[in-house]
Formats: sequence, structure tokens, C-alpha cells
Amino acid sequence: MAKSLKANSIRSATRRWFWLFLGPVVAAFIIGFVWPFIQGIYLSFCNFRITADAEFVGIDNYGRALSDPAFQYSFWYTALTAIVSLVIINVLAFTVAYLLTKKIRGANLFRTVFFMPNLIGGIVLGYIWSMIFDGILSAYNTSILLDTTLGFWGLIIVMCWQQIGYMMIIYIAGLQAVPADMLEAAEIDGATSMQTLFKVTIPNVMPSITICVFLSLTNGFKLFDQNLALTGGQPYIIQPDGSTINTTQMLALTIYNTFYTSSTASRGTAQAMAVIFFVLVAGLGLAQLAYTRKREVQQ
Amino acid sequence: MSTKLTRRAFLGATGLASLSLAACGGQPSSSSGDSGEQTASGKGSVYWLNFKPEIDETLQSLAKSYTDQKGVPVKVVTAASGTYDQTLTSEMDKSEPPTLFVIGNQAAVKTWGDYAIDLSGTKIDEECNTDDFNLYDADGKLVSQGYCYECFGIIANPDLITKAGHDVNQITDFDTLKTVVEDIHSRAGDLGFDGFAPADMDDSNSWIYTGHLANLDYYYESRDAGGWKETPATITGQYLPNYKNLYDLIINNSTVAPNTLATGGHDPQTTFIDGKTAFMLQGSWSYPDVSAKVADAQMIPYYGGVEGEQNAGLNSGTENCWAVNNKVSEDDQNATMDFMVWLVTDPDASKQMVAQLGTMPFTNSQPGDNTFLNDAEELNSADKYTMTWDFNYQPNVDEYRKALVSALNQYDSDPSDANWSSFQTAFVEGWAKNYQAVNG
Amino acid sequence: MPERIKTLASKHRGLVVVSVIMAIVCVIWVLPVAAVILNAFKWNTFVKTDTFALWNAENFAGWSNFITGVTFGNYNFWLAAWYSTFITIVSTFLILLFCSMAAWYITRVDSIWCKIIYYLCIFSMVVPFQMVMFTLSSTADQLKLNTPWTIPIVYLGFGAGLAIFMFVGFVKSIPVEIEEAASIDGCGPVRTFFFVVLPMLRSTLISVGILEIMWVWNDYLLPVLVLDINQYRTIPIHIQYLKGSYGTVDLGATMALILMAIIPVIVFYLACQKYIIAGVAAGAVKG
Repeated sequence: MAKSLKANSIRSATRRWFWLFLGPVVAAFIIGFVWPFIQGIYLSFCNFRITADAEFVGIDNYGRALSDPAFQYSFWYTALTAIVSLVIINVLAFTVAYLLTKKIRGANLFRTVFFMPNLIGGIVLGYIWSMIFDGILSAYNTSILLDTTLGFWGLIIVMCWQQIGYMMIIYIAGLQAVPADMLEAAEIDGATSMQTLFKVTIPNVMPSITICVFLSLTNGFKLFDQNLALTGGQPYIIQPDGSTINTTQMLALTIYNTFYTSSTASRGTAQAMAVIFFVLVAGLGLAQLAYTRKREVQQ
Repeated sequence: MSTKLTRRAFLGATGLASLSLAACGGQPSSSSGDSGEQTASGKGSVYWLNFKPEIDETLQSLAKSYTDQKGVPVKVVTAASGTYDQTLTSEMDKSEPPTLFVIGNQAAVKTWGDYAIDLSGTKIDEECNTDDFNLYDADGKLVSQGYCYECFGIIANPDLITKAGHDVNQITDFDTLKTVVEDIHSRAGDLGFDGFAPADMDDSNSWIYTGHLANLDYYYESRDAGGWKETPATITGQYLPNYKNLYDLIINNSTVAPNTLATGGHDPQTTFIDGKTAFMLQGSWSYPDVSAKVADAQMIPYYGGVEGEQNAGLNSGTENCWAVNNKVSEDDQNATMDFMVWLVTDPDASKQMVAQLGTMPFTNSQPGDNTFLNDAEELNSADKYTMTWDFNYQPNVDEYRKALVSALNQYDSDPSDANWSSFQTAFVEGWAKNYQAVNG
Repeated sequence: MPERIKTLASKHRGLVVVSVIMAIVCVIWVLPVAAVILNAFKWNTFVKTDTFALWNAENFAGWSNFITGVTFGNYNFWLAAWYSTFITIVSTFLILLFCSMAAWYITRVDSIWCKIIYYLCIFSMVVPFQMVMFTLSSTADQLKLNTPWTIPIVYLGFGAGLAIFMFVGFVKSIPVEIEEAASIDGCGPVRTFFFVVLPMLRSTLISVGILEIMWVWNDYLLPVLVLDINQYRTIPIHIQYLKGSYGTVDLGATMALILMAIIPVIVFYLACQKYIIAGVAAGAVKG
């Protein structure tokens, strides 16, 4: 579509207001993102305790980060948590959304209730659930802090409680957009409800499924607050050489802990871990964007 | 005055002199120190990064009254327990870093010594009446100065012990302690009170086991090695069986099930004060609270079955050592120095400080009336040896202790040999590992 | 057709069964919140031992946990609540105002710089906070952005990505002819934006606003690293500090505080439910 002359004149009139329209955001964006990002990349190649005394050391930090058993462990632990939570959250969220879009009584009330936990912050959420788990598990003389398996499932439960409602909303939007005539056609053709679900409904909500899968995957990878508040990485495995593997500690918390220990050498390593983490999460995010783009083009 | 003289004599006469002092060589305070001597006060401000949550309230009110009196802004900030290192690291990087902070042990001297002015010969140094709690760096710079000392041990309720048919004064080693504790525990139902009120394993209480009780091993290891002067790269854990003796005694003869310690929520001090147990592990700083209800509470040494422990005294020492930041303006340094001097000389301020801290090693500060510290002194004058605070040498302390906590939690839930040996690994190999992490 | 009536009847019965199951699940869903309410009114020692017991004469603490709660931990809860509120409102306002302006400018001017800024914004959306946490906190400190009054600038910077992305998506769908008409009527760009474009952005403003409110209000790591936490705490920071420190933790009082922290959220949610749910759906589809 060719732009009209008029639009061009508006454009040049607007252009002069750069400082007003873009100025504040660009300034804040540089302070809040661009500069810390660049500095973060730089510091990942440095030895430093505070930013002022950084000393360039090349890629040593990356070597240390990648060979750190705690980092490796937390990578696999994070991946496992993210994938397990992804499956459970999406299956349940889809089921709930599917049932709520049937004409059942109280659908609105149910939707309101399921979404509610999403508004509670991660730290608070962690403490609510640690009270509940303590209350239950103390009857069995154990605690979420004592057992890696309990810690794992505890976190999964917390994530489910928080995120199912959110994903449900997206699925409901997707399900409501399924063309009614297609569903009717399926019914007239005598399709069973299972057939309709798998042959008509699910293909039509694929976009929602994609979004939710990516969202829950990145949410899982980036999880921090809940992890900190629920188990804080406990229990530890004490390795023969005296180092520890914090068996319920996810990547974000590992990076945080590596940053804020008192050992001088570990800050650069922590920043290198953060860069690796960034590449990982950004990779997932960009894959999603690319996928969404492709779909938009196809439509 | 006489109290102070005795205390001074006591400090001088004992092994306390070797207390957590690396390479200090007893250097007297006479070197160049005119930087802190200038009295251009009135302009600077004070920012104290405190690491002892329990004295926060007192410090806040003292800071306020100092500002009211002198017009000098004083900010006191208290790091949450277990986060002092982290808080210090991030605060130091800020545009208004602490002017006064704590360098409490040799590891911290290594990390933060470069940020501290030399206190030798400064006004505060002149007020100080002992060199025993001072920390020097390798070059002999007076990096930080102890502003109080404390002691810890097993606090006993003599009345309850008598009621159970025993005598607190007959507890002189692990075997006698064990007999009394186990007897009380076995009859807890009849007696209406139990043996120990154990501390929890959550962040706010676990230092009792990972710091204090751990000293049972560190002290004797250090003694065997002629007294640690700096953090050893490795330890042997030779006295861990003694640690285990006392630890098992505590958790198995108590009001709560061991496996519930992990998540916290108990209140051992209240339990003890309310007369529901005869023993707990605590320190001299709990005296104000304890003495309010258990007037004749008494502190006895840690007994773990080490040979010759009949001669043991209390664990005395300090982590409370002041350092003044050399990266802040001279005005701020001077203001800080004036504030420190005020805290230890002003009758009212030093009284409040002493009430919280027990006693302070400064010529003009008020005397203390802390029975537990007097116990320490008494044991000492009876020729017992003081158990110095060798846990101050723990390398990379927060991380090291977190691992100990996790291992103890496992052991509490399942006191198997495997879990104990895992604790030993965290204790011994974890020391070496964290030493490596800090010292490269 | 009896066959058809039979299927309808069984279908109806099916829906009732689903309703009942859903109702049960819903009850389970609100139990954690109920547990918070229950324990906020219990004495400390009962929270751990009788977490799920109902109130009785022995364990009921009345309002005492709330009274303890607002003062314990050496920090006044109301102060934290005030900082949280201020930061949330101001940050959201700044983000809505400046990001919608920027998005409009970017879409209409569409120069090479605009494209660069836009792609940087998209890029920033996929950067995890850990990547910049250390450097951001030291930058913010140097620039004195470590107070509640200035931290909204940090939020504007770090939150600009998603907001601009969403606004651009919407502005693209507004026909430029409306603005041309305004310009013929003599409106300059500033007036055109504020009087013509901004009103049309209403629903997107609400969606973005809600996402930002939820983010800022609940955020823990950014304020804990950026704010001078010794003077300023937000509610999540305060709660984390209570659990992590200062002697024996008073679980009853902690639960009372948690309850006070989530009540405004739940009220806000119930009041703006429609917008929140619509906003989430919109935000998710875009982002």
C-alpha cells in the first residue's frame, strides 16, 4: 500500500517530536536494559568483586561455569522441572478450559477461582505452600526440605496451582474461536465427542497450544521466587570432595547464589552462567517468536 | 573499676590472647595514626552496617539519640542473619558505602582488610583496654577492633536440676551431663520438664550447631595444632565424635522430635525460660531475657567427652570487630570515629550497649552485670581453659554452614551412619573446598 | 425421536457431573488461601503443629498476629505496603504513558532508528533478569535510582519491551486516515496523539496496565537488588526477610502479613476480573 502524501507530511511533522515521544523511553531503556546488558556481557569475561575493579580474564569464567557440577546439575534439574510442569500444566489447563467451554453451570465462577492464584506473587506463594506442605508432611515425620523428590513435586504443585489458571484463559480464548459450524458439521457427520476433540477442536486451537507450551517452558526455566521461598535448594548432597549439590536448586537460583557468595572468584563465573542462561532462555523465546511469525504469515 | 581490672587481668592471663588473632604479634598501639585524629567533625555522616540482628533495636535508638544530641546523621543498617557477607558486598559497591562495618574474623580480614583504615593510635584505640580482640592483617595493620566479647555454652536451670535430684555443680564432663540429661528425659512426664530445648535448623537458629557447637571440634583441633593463627586449609574432624556425643544428647533428649527441627517454628528460648526444659544451648547475649525468668541460670561448658574436659571453660570470644571504611571521605571517617568513641564513653550509651552486649573492653564504658560472662570469668579464675572461638576461621562461612545444615537435617530425619558420614564430609572436606573457593 | 432425547439427557447428566467435579476442584483450589486465613488467626505455636485444625479456644489468637505482624522484623509493614503501592502505580503510569507514545511514534515515523529501537524491545523481552541483575543494581545505585521515588524509571526501562511490543501491535491496526483527518483540522502531532490516538488505545492500555501491575506488585528480585533495602522494602521483600532472619520466626504473624498482602490483590482481581482476564488473553497472544 503506497503511503499517501498526507501521511508523509504527518510523518515529518511527528519526527520533530522525537525527544518527547521517544526520549523518556529510550533514556530509561538504556539505563534499565541496554547498558546493564552490555556491561553484563563484558563482566562475564572479567574477574571482579565489585564492578569498579573488574579485570579482564578472557573465557576462563565460561570454562569454570560449564564445568561446575552444581551448574550442570541445576541445568538438568531445571530442564526436568520445566518439562514435567509443562506437560502437567498444559494437560490440566486444557482439560479445564475444555470443560468450562461446555455449557456447565457456574463456568464463570470456576474460571474466576482457577485464575486467582496467578495474582499472588512468587515469594508469598512459596511461603503459603511451605506452610501447607509442612502441615501435611509433619504428620509423616518428614519435610519438603529433607527429600529431593518431595521438593521436586512440591514445586510442581506450586507451579500448577499458579499457572493452570493463566493457561486456561488462553485455551478458553482459543476454544471459543473454534468455528461453530465445523463443530456442528462434525456432529451431523456422527463423530463421537472424542473424534471431534482430536480431529476438529485440537487442530483449531494449535496456536493457543503453541503459545502455552512456550510460555510454560520459559516460565519453568526462569523460575526463581517460588524456588527460593519453597526449598531454597535444600536438601544438599554432600560430595566426597566437600562441595555440595543443591538438589532442588534451579538455574536462576544457582546463578543468584553463585553471585552472592563471598568467594572472590565466583562473581565472574556467575556472570558467565547468567550469559549462558540468557542464551538458553533467549533461544527458547526467539524460537517462539519465529514460530508465531511463520504462523501469522501462513494465515 | 575493680571489675574491669579483674576482667582485664583475666583476659591477659588466659589463652584468650591467642584468640582469633592472626599474626598480630601483640603489636602495641603506637604507630602512625593521625588520619583519624583530626577533629574536623560536624560535616560527615555515619553509616554502620551491623551484623547482629539482636542488637539492632538498641543501635537504632542510640543512633537516633546521637543524631538528636550532636546533629550528626547516623544510619544503622542490620543485615539479615546469614546475609552479612552478601549485604556488605553489595553495600560496598554503592555510592554511599558503610563508613563503619564489621570485620569479624581472619577470612574477612583477607577479603575486606584493604577497605579498612589502620585503627592503631586512633581515638577509639586509645579507649580500648585490651589487644585481645583486635584483628591485624599480614602487614600488622590494625584492621578491626573488638568492641565486645561474649561467651556461649550450655545454659542450665539449677532449680529444675535439683528438683530432678541432681546437682548442676556435679556436671563436670560429658558422662555426668549425659546421666543427668537422660535421667530427666526419661522421667519428663513425671517431672513436668524435659532435658534440652534444641534450636531449630532454619536460617535464624542453625548457627547454634554450625557455628557454636562446631567449635567443640575446631577448638580442640586448634589447640592440638598450637592455636590457629589463620584459617587452616584443611581440618581433620578428629573431635567430631565428641560433637556427635553432645549433638545426639541434645536432639534425643528434648521436647521436640529431631526430624521437625528442619522447618523451624519452635521457640527453644521461651521453652527454657518457661521452665519446660533444664538445658539449652545459648550465649551470654541471651542473659537479659533468661535472667528475667530464671534468675539463677548458669552457664556450663560444652562437654563432648574429650579427654581432660573437666578443665574446660566456656567458649569466649567475639566476632564483633569494628572497622572503619577507608574509601569514604575523611569527614565521614571522623564522624564515624566520634560516634564510636561516644558509644563506648557516654555513660548512657555505653550502659545500653553493655546491657545488650554483656561487657565492653573500653576503659570508660559502663561495667556489665551479666552472670554468664561472670561464669566465664569464674571458671577461668579456677584455672580452667577458655575455649576460643575458632569457628571464626570457617572459610566462606555462609556457604559452608548451609551445607552443614542440610547434612544435619538429613541426619535428624534418619540418624544413620551414612548420614553422619555425609555430615562429616561436609564438615571436613567442605572446609577444604570452601577454603579453596575463597583462597583460589 | 427417543434416541435423541436419550442422548440429550445423558449429555445433560454428563454436564451436571462435570459441574460437580469442577466445584470440588474449585474448593481444593481455594484451600491454600483458606489455610492462610485460618493460620493468620492462630497462635504461632499452633501453626506448625495444627496447621489444618479449625479455630478453638486454645489456638485462636484473634487480631494479635496482625498487631505483631505490622511491627515485627524491625520494619513497619505499612511502610512496605506504601512503597509497594507507590512503586506499582507510578511505574505502571510511566510505562503506559511513555510506551504508548513511543509505540505510536515508532509505527508512524518508521525510520531506521525506530526499527532498531523496536527490535531491541523485542530482544529485551527474552532476556532473563539474572543476565542484568548485578549490573543493573550497580547502575541504578550510581544514578540514585535506588529509592521508591526513582525506581519506576528502572521499571520503565526494563518493562518497556513488552509494553511497546503490545502497543505497536495495536497502533498498526488503527487506520492512519483518522489521524490525517485530525491533522487537516489543525491538530499537531502531540494533540493528535493525546486526543485522537490515546482514546482509541483504551483497551490495550487496560491490558498492558494490568500486566504491569501484576508484574511490579509481585516482583521480588528487581527491587531487592535495586532498592536500598535497608531503608525501603516492598511487601515481597519484607515477607522474605521475615522468614529468613531475625530470631525465631513468628509463623502466625507471618501468615497475618501474607493475608494482608494478598487481600488487596484479591479485591483488585474481583473488581477488575473482566479486564484482567481479557488482558491476560490479549497479552499472551501477543507476547
